[in-house]
Amino acid sequence: MTPIVEARSISRVFPMPAGPVTALRDVSLSIAAGDYLGVVGPSGCGKSTLLHVLGCVDVPTSGTLLFHDRDVGSLADTERSRLRLREIGFVFQRFFLLPMLTAAENVELPQAEAGAPRAERRRRTMALLEYVGLAARADHRPSELSGGEMQRVAIARALANRPRLLLADEPTGELDQGTGEQIATLLDRLHADGTAVVVVTHDPAIAGRARRLLRMRDGRIVDEAPR
Amino acid sequence: MRALRLAWLTVVRQPARSCLGILGVAAVGALLFDMLLLSRGLILSFRDLLDRAGFDVRVVASDTLPFNGPRLEDATALARLIASLPEVEAVQQVRVADAETASGDFRRRIEFVGADPQARPMWTIVAGQDIAGRGEAALVINRHLAQTLRLSPGSSMSLTGRCGEAQGAPPLAFTVAGIAEFPFDTATADTVAGALSAAGRLCGRTTEDTADLLVVRSRPDAGADAAAAAIRRARRDVHVVTSDDLVQQFNRTQFSYFRQISVVLATVTLFFGVLLIAVLLTVSVNQHLGEIATLRAIGLTRRRVVSGIVWESAMLVGAGGILALPLGTALSVWLDRILRSMPGVPADLHFFVFEPRALVIHALLLAMAAIAAAAYPVRIVAALPIAATLRREAVS
Repeated sequence: MTPIVEARSISRVFPMPAGPVTALRDVSLSIAAGDYLGVVGPSGCGKSTLLHVLGCVDVPTSGTLLFHDRDVGSLADTERSRLRLREIGFVFQRFFLLPMLTAAENVELPQAEAGAPRAERRRRTMALLEYVGLAARADHRPSELSGGEMQRVAIARALANRPRLLLADEPTGELDQGTGEQIATLLDRLHADGTAVVVVTHDPAIAGRARRLLRMRDGRIVDEAPR
Repeated sequence: MRALRLAWLTVVRQPARSCLGILGVAAVGALLFDMLLLSRGLILSFRDLLDRAGFDVRVVASDTLPFNGPRLEDATALARLIASLPEVEAVQQVRVADAETASGDFRRRIEFVGADPQARPMWTIVAGQDIAGRGEAALVINRHLAQTLRLSPGSSMSLTGRCGEAQGAPPLAFTVAGIAEFPFDTATADTVAGALSAAGRLCGRTTEDTADLLVVRSRPDAGADAAAAAIRRARRDVHVVTSDDLVQQFNRTQFSYFRQISVVLATVTLFFGVLLIAVLLTVSVNQHLGEIATLRAIGLTRRRVVSGIVWESAMLVGAGGILALPLGTALSVWLDRILRSMPGVPADLHFFVFEPRALVIHALLLAMAAIAAAAYPVRIVAALPIAATLRREAVS
């Protein structure tokens, strides 16, 4: 299957006052449509850095990242923004919903940025909120939602422009076990509906749902196992 | 959702923060607006007073200010000569004398303005009649004197000249013909105007033909400059100034202090306004770095996120700037009243005068302030490393 994103020997080195820190070392990886990838490993092993590089919000210090065979390193900032807007969905541990917008407005924002007509984006926003089970909370602002509800809104926002790839960084990290289960089930549904999902997690229960599991240590992939 | 709408929602859905910013800008903007009104207020008001007198050229004996230097000799002949010039429409001789009148047990000092009763007066009648055609004993008096001495048209009044060596000339009896406004009167001035000859008779100088100044009205088709040039050509020994010259002279000297003060204070208030908004926006941006990084991560361009900050700054400054106008106007009225109560200031001279130009400059300065205030938070947003910020926010 044609990969959506392909990393070829990528490394990421952060210059620090005390000396450079290598977060990724010679990582090669391919993610295709229909993949469900879990990334696990101890804190500081480079999981989030890998996710950021795959999501085109960071660029590797060396190596090549191809997104639909296009070299991301050669893209201008605006082109990378466009790529993220249309092809990639992000879900973060701390939700990062805009506090001044309602749940519906948060979901509508990326669609508006992509130029979707108002009526269409309203319709899709309601469909997405319905999908994550929050249609009744469409007009609520983040401060009026629980952690699990905020994360579901964040997932709806990530799906707003029908991305091929969803990247989730510790999506259940701030949630209790029961709510975490709901989010994990939602990610399963997304995968089943055809979206490629990459989940960085410390939670074995979440990792256990992935079809492929990557173990990382010291910036390297030390084990990759289909499940 | 456009950057403008996102900025609007940010402003209206964080009312406490927005109100704080808007009120801060309104306070600063009100002071700025007042400084703009003050910077040219005196000049505009002074010009208005000069124009209100109805004459645009003044002829004096030397380059000192009128009433401070020597008098014009052979004033009647000079006035006739000037009146005969084609550029001149009217001439008025003015001679000021010090006088006093009895008020109970006190002597009240009066400024007597002597002028040709047949020429256009320099004052405006507000009650009764002017002195024209009523003989040497007719007077017009200002409101302050009328109220203080309870005089009205038809009242009698006795004046004694205060004439230095001629002190002791007998008092002269006058009849109040009317009540008038004198453009340069202070709030407590006691001013009367009568015939030019009466000004001389107050000190027993019945044959003296002098004047402190001649005021001249140019013909509209010639203009003040042409009239002044014609007078200079006709009489090189006199000093001729137009109203424009006087305004420029005062602008360079007496009024320049107010202009300099207003420039300094306007600069300081603008600086504080920029700081206030910059701090508010910077704090807001720093509080929401995670959300801003997320906006970038989900695909909003740098330009789009930056324009949201600029719009937000523009909205806060714009709303504050609009609110500043009524606030500044009320403040200027209050400050004007305080400054005009200073001794020796003409009652109709204003320090704060509105002109459309001030409004335009106010808007331009605030627009610049909005951009300057947004500069630092915009820099933070523009240079925000998305991945590093997301990582930092996740562990903080």
